[in-house]
Amino acid sequence: MNLLALVKIEWLKIKKYPAFWWMFGIVALTYPGTNMMFYYGYSEGTKGKEVASNVAKMLLGNPFAFPETWHTVAFLSSVFIMIPAILVIMLVTNEYNYKTHRQNIIDGWSRGQFVTSKLFDVVIISAVSTVLYAVVAFSFGAWADYDNIGRWAEQLQYIPLFFLQTFAQLSIAFLLGFLIKKAFIALGIFFFYNLILENIAVAYAKIKLDDIGKFLPFEISDRIIPSPAFMSRFGKDMKAAYEKALDAIPMHIALTLLLTAAIWAFCYWKHKRRDL
Amino acid sequence: MQEVLNINGISKSYGPIKALQNVSFQVPQGAVFGLLGPNGSGKTTLLSIILDILKADSGSFAWFGHPGSPATRKQIGSLLETPNFYHYLSATDNLKITQAISGRGDAASIDTALKIVKLYERKNSKFSTYSLGMKQRLAIGAALLGNPDVLLFDEPTNGLDPVGIAEIRELIRELAVQGKTIIMASHLLDEVEKVCTHVAIMKRGNLLTAGPVDEVLANEDIVELGSQDLGVLENILQQYHGITQIKTTDHQSLQAFFPVGTASMEAINQHCFEQGVVLNQLTLKKKSLETKFFELTND
Repeated sequence: MNLLALVKIEWLKIKKYPAFWWMFGIVALTYPGTNMMFYYGYSEGTKGKEVASNVAKMLLGNPFAFPETWHTVAFLSSVFIMIPAILVIMLVTNEYNYKTHRQNIIDGWSRGQFVTSKLFDVVIISAVSTVLYAVVAFSFGAWADYDNIGRWAEQLQYIPLFFLQTFAQLSIAFLLGFLIKKAFIALGIFFFYNLILENIAVAYAKIKLDDIGKFLPFEISDRIIPSPAFMSRFGKDMKAAYEKALDAIPMHIALTLLLTAAIWAFCYWKHKRRDL
Repeated sequence: MQEVLNINGISKSYGPIKALQNVSFQVPQGAVFGLLGPNGSGKTTLLSIILDILKADSGSFAWFGHPGSPATRKQIGSLLETPNFYHYLSATDNLKITQAISGRGDAASIDTALKIVKLYERKNSKFSTYSLGMKQRLAIGAALLGNPDVLLFDEPTNGLDPVGIAEIRELIRELAVQGKTIIMASHLLDEVEKVCTHVAIMKRGNLLTAGPVDEVLANEDIVELGSQDLGVLENILQQYHGITQIKTTDHQSLQAFFPVGTASMEAINQHCFEQGVVLNQLTLKKKSLETKFFELTND
């Protein structure tokens, strides 16, 4: 069975799954909504004629103008990884819940094909999120400062980086669903770890453990999209930190690719051997 | 006759529990093969192994002379244990997935399968709105999709009402007439006896017996006799040569057991008459599957 046939079958499963369209809708609102909030904050702080506003404007630049918009919107949107993560976890735990992970094999898939089909789910959801991000980033760029539209093609690397980060983090969500099999437990662990535990661990490691937290599963890929450029304009230390973060991107890309490849290799290995 | 399925020494344990112990048998082409056993005897475990849902600890199996693979599974319409479908999809959409994965049938065959299992009218309703019996019928419909030559049904009449059970029994008969090979696990002996040509009986993971129904059942001739005075009848039967055992079934008749093929109705009748006993009942009975089953599976 060729790969296209696998994608078509996954699409048959997804296209009438209400949660997919809910996720699509929520992401389609959240990405522009969050960025709009920040944009509103930015324009409120910089619109006055007084000195403070002008200083703020000078400091921040316009983070939503081309080409900075690609970076700013990627950073702000990536915070909402939990929304597509819910869908990824639902899609894999549904298979266990409905026992269709068995039926797909009974009907003639290999165990490897089953994992590949789920890999495509994660790719599809990452791609949909990336398209939504790119549309939002482009729209802000065109709207926030039309004078800069000629620079739209700069910093386009944030599109593939956004995709990679989304895919990597959704792969961790998949792994949890794949191993735990129960949606609410997998979701609970995902939220608790992603939102609370790892953030505390990373912050603690920054102070006490020579920043070893950068090797934690989500942090590895979090750092392929560092904080937006305007953060570097608050003094020497911030600038140094920003430049260090930019320099670390290639290493984090490599680590992200390694971790993600390891996750999927493990899933194939495990699924081929276990009782379903 | 060519074998559709060859199971060779399959064993499977769950920790200390031995679910299957060295099970071997063959399913010939065109057979309606009943796999029998009490709950927990290992039927579903065995069927799961031959469909690659579970991994055997040891042993092997071959479909159509080849080791089990996705290609062999595509040729088999299977219902294993429960109807497994996407709850949010309709019957038609679910069967589209079955069809896309198995490559069996085309768009028109989905409607055909749904008509056979009497779900055509509800084909656009979501699976989650179906009753237990409808879900089971959809699973049978999915197995029938594209008219495969081999069908595997694990408890096919689960959840069906009496009319549904009779319909499925009739369907299996029709499929058998068409020359399909059907492997069916069940604990409803009556159901199996009515449709199966071959049986295998399992207990606690062991295969007790397997073969054509007639051979498995007919290891004894049972003759049922009745007369006015059963005490006298029993006395004179004890003098008759060749009887292995006499049992009183009720107050009207006795059962005399003979090695298979040795009971002669004429000779028995004559013996009784010569001894002054007039029979009011004399029948050669086949042993029922139920009797055989209890004999084999009772401790």
